[in-house]
Amino acid sequence: MRLLRDLGRRKLRSTLTISGIAIGIMALVVFGSMANKMNALIDGGSKYYADKDVVSIGNMYAGTIQPLSLTDVDKIKAVDGVAAAAPSIEMMLDDSTATTMGTPEMITGTVPGSDKGLETFATTIAQGRKLQFGDTGNVVVLGSDLARKLNASAGGKVTIRGQEFEVIGILDPTLTAPDKDAEMPLATAQQLFVSTLPPVVRANVKASDLATSITVYPAKGVDPAVLKLRLEAALGTSYSVMDGADFDAMLGSISVIFSLVLTGVAGLSLLVGGLSTINTMAMAVAERTREIGIKRAIGASRWRIRREVVVESAAIGLIAGLIGLAIGAAMTTMFNDMGRASGNVLFDLTFGTAATALLFATGLGALAGFVPAWGASRLDPVTALRYE
Amino acid sequence: MAILEGRNLRKTYRLSKKNKVEALKGVEISIESGEMVAIMGPSGSGKSTLMHLLGLLHSPDPNHGPAPELYLGDQNVASLSDDERTKIRARRMGFVFQDFNLVPTLTAIENVLLACDYAGIKGKAAREAALEALGLVGLADRAGHKPAELSGGEQQRVAIARALVNKPEIILADEPTGNLDSDRSAEVLALLRQFNREHGQTIVLVTHDAEVGEACDRVIRMRDGRIRDNGLRAAAPAMAVDAVAVPA
Ligand SMILES: Nc1ncnc2c1ncn2[C@@H]1O[C@H](COP(=O)(O)OP(=O)(O)OP(=O)(O)O)[C@@H](O)[C@H]1O
Ligand SMILES: [Mg+2]
Repeated sequence: MRLLRDLGRRKLRSTLTISGIAIGIMALVVFGSMANKMNALIDGGSKYYADKDVVSIGNMYAGTIQPLSLTDVDKIKAVDGVAAAAPSIEMMLDDSTATTMGTPEMITGTVPGSDKGLETFATTIAQGRKLQFGDTGNVVVLGSDLARKLNASAGGKVTIRGQEFEVIGILDPTLTAPDKDAEMPLATAQQLFVSTLPPVVRANVKASDLATSITVYPAKGVDPAVLKLRLEAALGTSYSVMDGADFDAMLGSISVIFSLVLTGVAGLSLLVGGLSTINTMAMAVAERTREIGIKRAIGASRWRIRREVVVESAAIGLIAGLIGLAIGAAMTTMFNDMGRASGNVLFDLTFGTAATALLFATGLGALAGFVPAWGASRLDPVTALRYE
Repeated sequence: MAILEGRNLRKTYRLSKKNKVEALKGVEISIESGEMVAIMGPSGSGKSTLMHLLGLLHSPDPNHGPAPELYLGDQNVASLSDDERTKIRARRMGFVFQDFNLVPTLTAIENVLLACDYAGIKGKAAREAALEALGLVGLADRAGHKPAELSGGEQQRVAIARALVNKPEIILADEPTGNLDSDRSAEVLALLRQFNREHGQTIVLVTHDAEVGEACDRVIRMRDGRIRDNGLRAAAPAMAVDAVAVPA
């Protein structure tokens, strides 16, 4: 209480200092929440790709994908160490050029069961049911973000690429790619895919023979990296084979950039907030020289004086942290609400991020308090008493 | 029995390499337990400096002339560390200053509680002690007032309550009535006298006021960094001049 009163004494200066730190913490919270989301996406992908190889021609992420033939599946199955090979069609949900942050909305055509139960990336169903072997026609299982965007529920209808689909299920959130996926039977996706090809190409392909990628599950005890080499040898150089390490190498850099930005923001707020807190507290100490003299004279130890200054300084940090966190939380919530309609939920403010931000702010305040606290505790009581 | 006894107390302030002030030039002083003693002398004679040594706010100079000795009871406190001196100030001494020196942001009782806190008296016991001390100085009803809301005389009484609250062996007061008019001054003095009489509280005070000096058991007179008269024998008439030789 006394502490708040002491802060209140120097309203303007304290307010400025607190605002300075609060802005830093707010930035920390916003970027941290974004990094959380990114990392969850990348982590999900990383887990997904860890135990398998994915064969394609061209790079899906670079948009240079060319169709594979289902006969490739048999070629792959013949490779030593392959337990299962699951063909799939992956394509953009629509051709709109609107850029999305995070993973794009995708159509995934699959043959349920073709993984022979080897897929370890488990999704759970929130409504309806999963896609089953034997499902045909325009049926779709939607990821949670996509379902929200399309305002769909199990049993309802949605329109995908101009066609009406029956929603047979909706997945629980995974925080990664499947949240923006529309999963449908391979044959259905093949038809949609063919319709996107240029007419010249279309005339020369058979829809039911197409895939954009083939997911290869290694047999027990076979290292995906080793299998990758065998697949490359068997398929030739026009095919590209991606394993977990490739994925990590490709997207790990994004993670690094985010960490750098985050560290930069943290560093800046450390510098700005820390210096202005040191300044505020140094002035507070100077203003209270006489008071410190009184306290020292009547028996306050040096340690007590130091503690007083550090605690007050930490309180400045904590208050600033709370304000910054509140604004940051409001901003991420607002951005998420705005983005939800378009499926762009970009921020994930976790308890850990919030706690880190508060701890960081409080620690920063306390640390900044040490400098003036030291000076305050070294004052000679008699000299301090005489100070005007 | 002497509660404070000092010998060879010297203090030199060094302003620069060449410029130094010998504020105390070897003082010998003895304060008996239960005494109320006044220290008088012209301005600059070293009264405050001596009070700082007696109050363990400063240590006597160790390294010129015979080693200084300062006994509090039977403990030589002449060369204790800052922490040890602070602890003694907190638990065994009370201070009253000329300009009251209350913490402006704290209420009367909070100021008194501060001294409890440093003396290791906590919680309910501290509150009771603080209220009792404020009651003793007649300010129980002003406990919640800030210093700015109190008159000078009232502020000094709060300061006395703060000095008393830890039941100190000795109260040191440097010109406690220096900033008060004669009526307030008489009140404060009467209060100190009362604690001395009723509780046997040892009090050392510095004053320029001959009337205040007269009200004490003994007057120690200083001049030019030395004690000229320790007041133990009847004051020689010539010495009385010191008491009035005070610049306005
Ligand atoms: N911090 C200091 N630095 C330098 N010189 C000082 C300091 N404090 C006191 N002095 C000098 O020491 C001498 C004694 O000062 P002191 O304050 O003890 O006198 P005093 O008897 O209390 O005077 P007064 O009656 O005016 O309060 C004076 O000459 C003073 O100028
Ligand atoms: Mg003085």
